[in-house]
Amino acid sequence: MRRFVILALLYLGVQLMLPLGEQGHGSEALVTFGFLILAAYTVGELTVRLGLPKIVGYLFAGMAFGPSALSAVTPTAIGRLAPVSDLAIALIAFLAGAELRWSDLRVSGSKLVKMLGCELVLSLLGIAGLLIGLRHWIPFLADAPGAKFAAFVLLFSTIAIAHSPSVTVALLSETGARGTVAKTTLGVVLLSDVAVVLLFTFSQTLARTIAPPAGAVTLPSPGLVAWEIAGALLVGGAIGLIVALYLRVVQRELMLFTMLVTLFGASLAQATHVEILLTLMTAGFVAENVSHSERSEAMRSALERSAAPVFVVFFALAGAQIAIREVVSTLPVVLPIAIVRALGIWMGVGIGGRWARAEVVERRYVWMGLVSQAGVAIGLVTLVSSLYPEAGASMRTLLLSLIAVNQIAGPVLFRRALVRSGEVNDSVAPNVGSPAAAAVSLE
Amino acid sequence: MAGPFVLILIVAGAYLAAHWAFEWLGTRYLLVSGAEYLVLGILLGPRVSGILQVSVLDGFAPLMVLAIGWIGASVGSAFYIPRVVRSYGAAYRVAFVEAALALAATAAFLTGVLAWLYQLPLADTIAPAAALGAIATVSSPAGVAMLRRRLVRRGLVVRQIEVTTGIDAFVAIVAFSLLLCVEHTAPTTGPRAPTPTEWAVISVAIGCVGGSLFHLFLGNEREIDRLFISIAGAVILVSGAAAYLRVSPLLPTMLLGAMLANTRRNRGAIRQALSRVERPLYFVLLVFAGAAWDPGTIAWWIVPALVFVVVRAVAKLGAARLAALFNGMTESLGPRWGRALLGQGGLAIAIALNYQLFHGTMLLADVVFTAAIVSIVLTDLSSARFVQSVVGRYTQPVFDAQTPVRPVPALEADRK
Repeated sequence: MRRFVILALLYLGVQLMLPLGEQGHGSEALVTFGFLILAAYTVGELTVRLGLPKIVGYLFAGMAFGPSALSAVTPTAIGRLAPVSDLAIALIAFLAGAELRWSDLRVSGSKLVKMLGCELVLSLLGIAGLLIGLRHWIPFLADAPGAKFAAFVLLFSTIAIAHSPSVTVALLSETGARGTVAKTTLGVVLLSDVAVVLLFTFSQTLARTIAPPAGAVTLPSPGLVAWEIAGALLVGGAIGLIVALYLRVVQRELMLFTMLVTLFGASLAQATHVEILLTLMTAGFVAENVSHSERSEAMRSALERSAAPVFVVFFALAGAQIAIREVVSTLPVVLPIAIVRALGIWMGVGIGGRWARAEVVERRYVWMGLVSQAGVAIGLVTLVSSLYPEAGASMRTLLLSLIAVNQIAGPVLFRRALVRSGEVNDSVAPNVGSPAAAAVSLE
Repeated sequence: MAGPFVLILIVAGAYLAAHWAFEWLGTRYLLVSGAEYLVLGILLGPRVSGILQVSVLDGFAPLMVLAIGWIGASVGSAFYIPRVVRSYGAAYRVAFVEAALALAATAAFLTGVLAWLYQLPLADTIAPAAALGAIATVSSPAGVAMLRRRLVRRGLVVRQIEVTTGIDAFVAIVAFSLLLCVEHTAPTTGPRAPTPTEWAVISVAIGCVGGSLFHLFLGNEREIDRLFISIAGAVILVSGAAAYLRVSPLLPTMLLGAMLANTRRNRGAIRQALSRVERPLYFVLLVFAGAAWDPGTIAWWIVPALVFVVVRAVAKLGAARLAALFNGMTESLGPRWGRALLGQGGLAIAIALNYQLFHGTMLLADVVFTAAIVSIVLTDLSSARFVQSVVGRYTQPVFDAQTPVRPVPALEADRK
């Protein structure tokens, strides 16, 4: 309560100060940045007491102080803080890769593929079927002719099945969970990132063939897509080896070094036109698996320490970008889609788990960690909007609302899964990057 | 994206090279790391290679403001009152007199020199000379910190140097912040522009109100990661608020740091949280300060820069000697103890960059920035050697950590 009063006073203080100064040197963005950190931190602490993950609190703080509500965070400030979000995504991807061990993957690789395959197919079919059923209530489908209708359904469904590595990694970092459910969920989510990119490329090509978009739109060739994936593995592998070499020879200033590496990796991926997330995941994976376990543990610990404040801002900014009114107005359509998607994931994980002879806890709880959606899906929505501008705006609104719903419900479900599977203590969850979390990760 | 990519590659390579080279040099030859990043920034900047363009520097302005604010908070957190009251009162008298004399002498002398060099009325050169005076007052604590790790026992001279670098920082920040209040340039949308006194009050209020609120906000938090998030939010918010109002972020954040360090039981954790990103931010500040350096159109920029270095050295040595003399400490401290104060470090560059960011378009702003950069490049590396030349003379028996020594009382050791 005390912190909320202080936050309210700070909010009033910022409002009082605004007429006295002027913009320049990004000072407004700094004020916003500072305020957002404190607001997200405060709400995050409250949500923990309510048994919810901190990142849900960060999202709520962003929504409350964002342009849709109190407007303490303006769209301009959000734009100026975009580099923080980029850094966060890069850090998350690197950290995600560093969480995977080759020995684990060798054992559970086929299980992950089976579970992922089943849940992607079932949720894709489920969502596509629902969209066909609800076509009269969905603006961009209601008047679409046959071919376009099929193309839009395909594209929408492909994006809607994407998962969120950022939410998964942030929650694992927050809780320190490293059990079977945590590892399998992370593995499926990371694999899904590659699968969804490939699937989206295929859907995009098919959509363009059956319903050519108006105007000259250049789409990536299959060769380019192949390079995007294979190149990411190559570039990421090279970065990972450099990191491993640094860990072996230097072993100092790990926090600064990891920040530089993630920035460097993201820039290199952009410069070489390869998939950024996959590049950094591969870099993290190679660094983790090539290095001595103590060294990689030190690197992971440094990463988690530097990632903690970045997570706060990343999720708060994500929350600030949620258009509350649009989400509320589209809820009658979005909720059924979200439910069908979750059902598809649940059934798919169950079937895939049985097929792969996965443990009971995995079959029962992994699906709950796959509900979240964030960055990848938003990126794909933007691509579709530019491809089909006439339907893009409406599809974008609906998809962003769906992502918002899953972004809030997903972490709650995942935490519940970790608690129920006994991988996290319900009463005392270690904090982001805390020594407790590090201790758990050592086990 | 090729620009940022090359930039990151170069910075990373240079960082590693500089880090290894200077660690080795520091261990063997007592060289303090820092100025090399400034030189690196100059090489990357628009004046030399052009890798860091002006537009890129503008984009990183919030980071520079944050780095300036963070340095202020770090300086403030060092003012821990229970430790202050345990020290000799004379040490603080000496430090304050030294700081005030060095500030006044440098500012007064440079007012005349700049007016003469650039054929300007004296009134026009008071502000840049006062900024240079504030910069001149700063003494690097890095040198004594490096030596302290090697000392078996800290004597009076070492303690005096530590106190003086702290007080120098305090005086420099207050003087510079008041100067920005007097020279405030921001337009106002209100019925009238606040007066310099009102700006000074606002400046102090941001720090004090921020300090009080964040004191309550932190509560009894001791967990370092959670503290770090809260403190980062506090420093960012206070720095941003100060920059938004075009007052120096140094004074508000110094007050914030001092209040948090003195009112919380978890002072150690607060210091630890602040120091977590201090070094990276310091390096960033140095690189960007170097890149932002532009001697401008004013000819003979090197002349006032060298004059500043000489005037500062004379002023610091003279002020230290007079301060010791006025307080009857000449015998304990020695006539040349002011040498230990010749090194300039992060705070000096923070003040110079702050002046450049907020008053970059004003008369002689480039001269101020150039003089600060030249002075730091020339003195920062040797700051530990300067301290050694003083401390080694008076505490020789206990100076070399490699040699086993018998414990001797501090004062006695100093007088030997």
